[in-house]
Amino acid sequence: MNVKKAQSFVTQNAIYIVLVLLIMSIAIYEPAFMSVNTLRDIMIQSSTRIIIALGVAFILITAGTDLSAGRVVGFTAVISASMLQIPDYSRRFFPDLPQVWLILPIVLAILAGLICGLINGIIVSKLNVPPFIATLGTMVIVYGVNSLYFDMDPNQSQPIGGLRPDFTNIGSGFIGSGQYSIPYIVIIALVVAAIVWVVFNKTKLGKNMYAIGGNIQAAKVSGIDVSKNLIYIYAIAGSLYGLAGVLEAARTGGATNNYGNMYELDAIAACVVGGVSTTGGIGTVPGVLVGVIIFTLINYGLTFIGISPYYQLIIKGLIIIAAVAFDMRKYSSKK
Amino acid sequence: MKKITSVLLASAMLGAALAGCGGNNKAEDTANTDSGAATNTANSGKTADMPKVGVAIYKFDDTFMTGVRNSIDSAAKDIATVDIVDSQNSQPTQNDKVDLFITKKYNGMLINPVDRTAAGVIIEKAKTANIPVVFLNREPLPEDMKKWDKVYYVGAKAEESGTMSGQLIVDYWKAHPEADKNGDGVLQYVMLKGEPGHQDAELRTTYSIQAIEDAGIKVEKLAEDTAMWDRVKGQEKMAAFLGSHGDKIEAVLGNNDDMALGAIEALKAAGYFTGDKYMPVVGVDATAPAVQALQDGTMLGTVLNDANNQGKAAITVATLLAKGETPTKDNVGFDITDNQYVWISYKKITKDNVADAQ
Repeated sequence: MNVKKAQSFVTQNAIYIVLVLLIMSIAIYEPAFMSVNTLRDIMIQSSTRIIIALGVAFILITAGTDLSAGRVVGFTAVISASMLQIPDYSRRFFPDLPQVWLILPIVLAILAGLICGLINGIIVSKLNVPPFIATLGTMVIVYGVNSLYFDMDPNQSQPIGGLRPDFTNIGSGFIGSGQYSIPYIVIIALVVAAIVWVVFNKTKLGKNMYAIGGNIQAAKVSGIDVSKNLIYIYAIAGSLYGLAGVLEAARTGGATNNYGNMYELDAIAACVVGGVSTTGGIGTVPGVLVGVIIFTLINYGLTFIGISPYYQLIIKGLIIIAAVAFDMRKYSSKK
Repeated sequence: MKKITSVLLASAMLGAALAGCGGNNKAEDTANTDSGAATNTANSGKTADMPKVGVAIYKFDDTFMTGVRNSIDSAAKDIATVDIVDSQNSQPTQNDKVDLFITKKYNGMLINPVDRTAAGVIIEKAKTANIPVVFLNREPLPEDMKKWDKVYYVGAKAEESGTMSGQLIVDYWKAHPEADKNGDGVLQYVMLKGEPGHQDAELRTTYSIQAIEDAGIKVEKLAEDTAMWDRVKGQEKMAAFLGSHGDKIEAVLGNNDDMALGAIEALKAAGYFTGDKYMPVVGVDATAPAVQALQDGTMLGTVLNDANNQGKAAITVATLLAKGETPTKDNVGFDITDNQYVWISYKKITKDNVADAQ
């Protein structure tokens, strides 16, 4: 293998190399890190982030962006938690609500997410508001609506707790036993990733998405109904945030209106590190997964070895910048 | 066609926004009208002779301050007409609200500052207008407090919350010899800190450990990290602590309940709280989910920052001052220190006195 080939191998696979290097350096520092439990923790903590990042990836690939993701997650976490409290809890959100069928609040929460996405899509495609501004607006609106809901009598902005065990089990239960069990939440994330992979690669919507992000004029000329496709894409992304919100509530056994705060930035950063181009048209599901896992690994691994949270922030920032700088080289070298 | 769609959409959104405002809370509404008396229609008969007190809260969606706000509202019922406004976590906004109170010639003000160093300016405004002012929950600097004798402060001593959470661990440690899992006589703990640099986070971290050491127990810190007051982050950090230290951990201290509850979720996932696998976890705040956890036996204890008494004491002092009276222990019901300070103490809450926090 000559030098040029080696160079191109490194640039093409930079994120995977970063991932391996990170794991290696943490493991050298603290050999106990290499364990099945660690792997499990990282998978669990990545799960909801993967779902959010996949939603954001849809939108980044159309050359858009979505700042409302985090607040939608918070909204749907509160909606699902508010309807899934145990009957004898002292501070119920709806004191007289009967024990509803588990799936109902979950579907309602996902629908709420879908509607938020739908509104984003309509504002972007029909009112021609740039996605950054449109979703900045809905981000603030969704937080406002969520806070109003959260402040209703008799809850009055108290954290929602006492969630039903059948609900929290979605977030904390698992198949199998002991070390070799697989948490439900990880399975859900992997199923979602598989479905999104199919949508990206095997459906017309996926092809249209790449076409719109690659060159919107060319997409229009070739007969793609750009606004219809964009509305679908934003709605899908919204329902993914909805699902993620439900899982956050189930996983933590509670919710407040502040859930999901700034998750959109984590998701965008993970996508970018995973090779999704912010100028649109480029991005893969495995890339997004690795991007999310790198960030979880930083959070978890650096806490594991006891590095100060301030350094964790600096390392995160450096990785975001380095990833994009590498990416720029990758595509400029192609041209 | 496009134009029609956009007009329709815009008007629909506006309509929705207005409909939302209609159902909005009463305190905000009165801020926009001159008839501050509309606030408490229930006792409108006596409003004429009740003093008007303007209340500015630093941020409406803060959980603890919402509790204080509700307490102010109910304690004011028969003694004052209150106009409660949201400063939206912005000091300039709060100063605008204070100007509004002065313009409306209210008899007293109750301010929960966004930034404690901004109190000086508010005190000067109040002094010029001769409207007494009570500060709540965030203590102004001592030199500002000295500017005028009609300035009071009602709040809790933040370090006390740390001391008490440490004492909860001490009580458990002394009553349960098996808590020393490795039998070395040293308490191995992990600490979940709030936002770095936040006064409460620093004080609670320091004073909780000091309380344990003061009780004659040796401690060893296995890990300490910030979970930003957040339940999700508390859970994730705790999972990482368990990954690296596992069964060596003998106690978990959280700077607040949300982080402690997150830690409990992580502990449950690691098999704690089933059978005889137990971990003492303490938090601060006594929120409703924490109370539930106390009852479930997963949380050892928490510390109640007494929202109810803070609100009650604050509005009582503000009302007395507004009527031109001097607050004393007798007419307020709480001790007054240095003629300007009312300290409301924290309360330790465990499974045994859980009713106090409900």
